[in-house]
Amino acid sequence: MTIALKTLLYRLADDEVIIGHRNTEWTGHGPILEEDIAFSSMAQDELGHAQIYYSLLHDLGEANPDQLAFLREAQAFQCAQFVELPRGDWAFSVARQFFYDAAESVRLAALSKSAYAPLAQAARKFAGEEKYHWLHAKTWITHLAQGTGESRARLEAGLKQAYPYALGLFETTAADAAIVSENLCAPEAELQTAWQALITPVLAEAGLALPAATPVYGGRAGQHTEHLTPLLNDMQLVFRMEPEAGW
Amino acid sequence: MSDTQWELYEVFHQKARGEHHVHVGAVHATDPEMALVMAKEQYARRMACVNLWVVKASDIHATDYADQDMFAHATDKSYREAYGYKVVKKMRGKASE
Repeated sequence: MTIALKTLLYRLADDEVIIGHRNTEWTGHGPILEEDIAFSSMAQDELGHAQIYYSLLHDLGEANPDQLAFLREAQAFQCAQFVELPRGDWAFSVARQFFYDAAESVRLAALSKSAYAPLAQAARKFAGEEKYHWLHAKTWITHLAQGTGESRARLEAGLKQAYPYALGLFETTAADAAIVSENLCAPEAELQTAWQALITPVLAEAGLALPAATPVYGGRAGQHTEHLTPLLNDMQLVFRMEPEAGW
Repeated sequence: MSDTQWELYEVFHQKARGEHHVHVGAVHATDPEMALVMAKEQYARRMACVNLWVVKASDIHATDYADQDMFAHATDKSYREAYGYKVVKKMRGKASE
């Protein structure tokens, strides 16, 4: 069980810590104070989820959560390339968060039935926070789509840019057969279908359609964009100055 | 001159079912739906909460501070206030007398 389980946990934790860090880049730069606070708080939620996933890895004999987040190099991360992309303009961040929160909703529902009880328990614990994240994302999609010509055009561009990378959230590797056969999580293809079913009506209602796209894979195998290393340099800087320090 | 193009919504927070909604502040938002999304993260992230109301500030009708003298009592009517009763003290956990 252990290799498949660890792979699954690394994907979950690495997605959360990287998107969480990316989204904190909006702190102090949000479109309006209320949203600045809301978006920053949700980034903190994602970092909190990452910490719990890393703790589950630590329970399985991996390094502790701080070491996992702050001392690994880019190629050791198993996050999808999707979460590494720069924050872009506000519409791009909204588009990405919409895809991400839909994926997280679907994934958490599947994980809540995981054969690994501590993971199922964590997934059930995150469900409430994720419900709000999804409401927030849907609200922003609708509002940018129905706002001004500029907000709509920017949103369309953001969705188009993010979509091929979003499909990469469902990338599989050699570990997936065991993840499924050991009932740790539902198959990625199944999650992707549920994800499409979640996002399509919201976009349709806003009069938006997604173009056909080729998924961008690689992240789950440790292949990343040029954006991950600068992000890690920034995120890990303070910890690496004094790795033995107590916080 | 407004500080934003977004409207002001007053936020009311309910701590537990059956309790009154209490005014806790305000948020700027484009419409009630967005106001609820904003209010949740501004005012219900740390406090216990079961329900939120948002009300457009411009929908609230208020008295004028120039008329605040009409709230003053010309004679002592403290006998009409409930604060002296023992049951109130009990409710407030001060039932020693």
